[in-house]
Amino acid sequence: MSDLLRLEGLTVNYGPVTAVHGLDLTIAAGELVALLGPNGAGKSSTIGAITGLVRSGGKIIFDGVDISRMPAEARVERGIAVSPEGRRIFANLTVAENLRLGAATRKDAAAARSDMDRHIALFPVLGERISQQAGTLSGGEQQMLAIARALMSRPKLLLLDEPSLGLAPMIVARIFEFIAQLKADGLTVLLVEQNAVQAMRLADRVYVVATGQVTYSGPAAELAGSDLMALYMGN
Amino acid sequence: MSEAVFRTSPTRARRRPWWLVGISGGLVTAIPVVLIGIAVILIAPTYYQNLAATAAINLVIVVGLQVFMGNSGIAHLGHSAFAGLGAYGMAILATPLMMKRLSIPNAPFGLAQVELHPAIAVIVTLAVVAVVAVISGRVIARLSGIAATIVSLAFLIVVHSMFLHWPALFKGNQGFFGIPQVVGLPAILACGVAVIVIARLFRESPNGLQLRATAQNPQAADALAIDARALRRQSWVLSALICASAGILYALFAGTISPRIFYFQQVFMTLAMLILGGMGTVTGAVFGTLILSIGLEAIRIFESGGVVAGLTLPPMLGLSGVALGAVIVLCMALRPQGICGPKELDEMLSGALRRLRGTK
Amino acid sequence: MEYFVQQLVNALAFGSEYALVALGLAVVFSIMGLVNFAHGEVIGAIAYSLLLTASVGLSSPFLAVVLAVLAGIAVSVALERVAFRPVRNAPTTTGLLTAFGVSILLQNMFQLLISPRPQAFSLFNGMSTTWHLGPYSVSSLQVMEFVVAAISMAALVLFLNRSTLGVAMRAASRDFSTVRLMGIRANRVIAAAFAISGALAGIACVFILARRGGVAPDMGFGLVLKAFVACVIGGFGSLIGAAAGGMLLGFIEVGLLAALPQEMGGLKEAFTYVIVTLILLYKPEGLFGTRRELGDKEF
Repeated sequence: MSDLLRLEGLTVNYGPVTAVHGLDLTIAAGELVALLGPNGAGKSSTIGAITGLVRSGGKIIFDGVDISRMPAEARVERGIAVSPEGRRIFANLTVAENLRLGAATRKDAAAARSDMDRHIALFPVLGERISQQAGTLSGGEQQMLAIARALMSRPKLLLLDEPSLGLAPMIVARIFEFIAQLKADGLTVLLVEQNAVQAMRLADRVYVVATGQVTYSGPAAELAGSDLMALYMGN
Repeated sequence: MSEAVFRTSPTRARRRPWWLVGISGGLVTAIPVVLIGIAVILIAPTYYQNLAATAAINLVIVVGLQVFMGNSGIAHLGHSAFAGLGAYGMAILATPLMMKRLSIPNAPFGLAQVELHPAIAVIVTLAVVAVVAVISGRVIARLSGIAATIVSLAFLIVVHSMFLHWPALFKGNQGFFGIPQVVGLPAILACGVAVIVIARLFRESPNGLQLRATAQNPQAADALAIDARALRRQSWVLSALICASAGILYALFAGTISPRIFYFQQVFMTLAMLILGGMGTVTGAVFGTLILSIGLEAIRIFESGGVVAGLTLPPMLGLSGVALGAVIVLCMALRPQGICGPKELDEMLSGALRRLRGTK
Repeated sequence: MEYFVQQLVNALAFGSEYALVALGLAVVFSIMGLVNFAHGEVIGAIAYSLLLTASVGLSSPFLAVVLAVLAGIAVSVALERVAFRPVRNAPTTTGLLTAFGVSILLQNMFQLLISPRPQAFSLFNGMSTTWHLGPYSVSSLQVMEFVVAAISMAALVLFLNRSTLGVAMRAASRDFSTVRLMGIRANRVIAAAFAISGALAGIACVFILARRGGVAPDMGFGLVLKAFVACVIGGFGSLIGAAAGGMLLGFIEVGLLAALPQEMGGLKEAFTYVIVTLILLYKPEGLFGTRRELGDKEF
């Protein structure tokens, strides 16, 4: 059982529409896995199923336990944190309050505070705006806040849903740098990206999904750019 | 609710023009009303004739409520105000001068000297209600969701407090009596059928369809350049006129009215009827009214106490209210689209026919 | 001047009462988009439980106040569990109609189980005396009402800003599902909202009983209608809006009472609602609301 997360035959339906049918995926502890695919391939539905906000069929085994019937809140307590698509920071709360809610599941208040200081050290800009309303931050800053907020729960698995979406290239580079840092620190990460080239540079392994199914899986290095294009277009 | 209401089969809509669907569908929807009505007229004793008349008047109100609420998706709690306006319009305009000298001798605008033929009074009353509805409709249509609901409630309270506190015109708290009783059960039933057809016509019309679309997905409707406000305004006015007709019928049937009749009690009851049947369809309005009218009458036997089936019971005031509340709560929790579901009676019947043919 | 001060205190007291009730509505609405018509019956249930405990020997007003708050919390949380949880994720209209149904149900239960007629309740009568503040004499009840309302609101603000649960509630008012992604249980946040709402109802109920000296099945209903209006003027879902709207409503009512001639006094309600509607026409989203808060909640 070295897999931290294993999806077995994951399905997601929205009424009559099937977004994910029978998806299998594994992530070993310490791995950075990228989930790639075109718009509407079912990437975000997969993330939603793992977090528990989207109802799903099939098995989701995390840390040896099937969590597929657990409510979303319980999954956070078990060690899954997410930086959601579109960041979803609490715009009406201050940066500090956002980070505080990220640590809501933790009992060790002192350690949580020192974590907060650590993250602020990593993202100095958050420290400068610590008592500002999060809605006033720029897109890149909001993304950093969303990641920092997710890290506040000290997760075993971090889900990053489209962290580069809508951001300027320079800021994207900085965020990917930071993701590399997280990986170096030994964190397990599932990265969902449309920006495939960047993601493949970071990832240990890659899954490509199209129309709700895995069309390719394997080491990132073996997936050449031309193959990827074909997979995106559906063979 | 919103997802359920908005399902007409596109193939059928293409086959027949909307007005034909509306008229024929309306007539089919009205069949249960006609059948029960005829049975009551032919065999039931007077007491039940009167009950049936009241139920049929409630039916008109519920259908009126459906026209706004079912199509716009906005909860409307002020419809009884329009019923009240209709009834008081008749009381003020059609009551014989002799009676008026007793009840409202100092009516403003020279109304103390007016006695119109009931038919003319109906027209004038509906015209006045239309004016009130157009004005209030402008306000309601500008607001969305909850604010609109609260304002509809405010409207109810404003109208009610006018009835109570403008005794020169509305005779205040006491009943207004002496209205000519020129309407009986057959006429009320005929109005019920007419109103059902009108409600169906609106529902099937392009405007009704667009309004249902705005209720289901305001952004998408916006993107199609549907003017939600204008449509809400139209359905509000139509709904008001139908509810006012119910009030007119009530006044002409009962001969006496009082402000209390057109207040929360009636709002609760008609709302529960619509919710029970299903607010998305006119069929829902019809069946909800039928079922709850019968059910409430059964409950009232217990409510007043006395001897039932050999047992002496204490009076249980409030029992029917408890039942109404329970109907609303249970429906919302278990079957928000009501017992009739998302389809009209004629659609259900033709669906059943098609299945029958299919199995052959 | 004397008259003016009295009217001012009057308006503040009425406004405080509306604000307390309106806040109870707004707390629940902002979290889960529920228009809680049954809030008035929570007040009614509190009043009847005080009446019952008084009839079996409760004689300390202080204990009664504590009991009122506890009863409010219990009733409000229980209602959420029984009636509102099944419609939690339903459209706003469904929730609104459910709450309306609960309100009718409870009102008639009070009638059925206790009495349709008002019952006298005298435990809080001692709260109402006349205080002489400098040259002015004012009703102690009215002053207390304002002070207690202000303290409760301050406590609420403190809770919402300092405690993790409070911060989570503020976050949930905008984005409930992301709050769940922080591992904060939805049920806890919602229960907290109903508990706060119930506690505010308890406080409001004490003042209503002290003022009216009696309990009636529909005692909460009319008040909640006004509180709704207060919420709508303030901007539905905004807590500041609810408090401000309540105060404004108090001033409008007292102003009308002072301005209207005696024989038109009965039309106070009508005029109040007309003024409110005019305010809404001018500002459809309410004074403190944003467009989004007008019932179209994102999830």
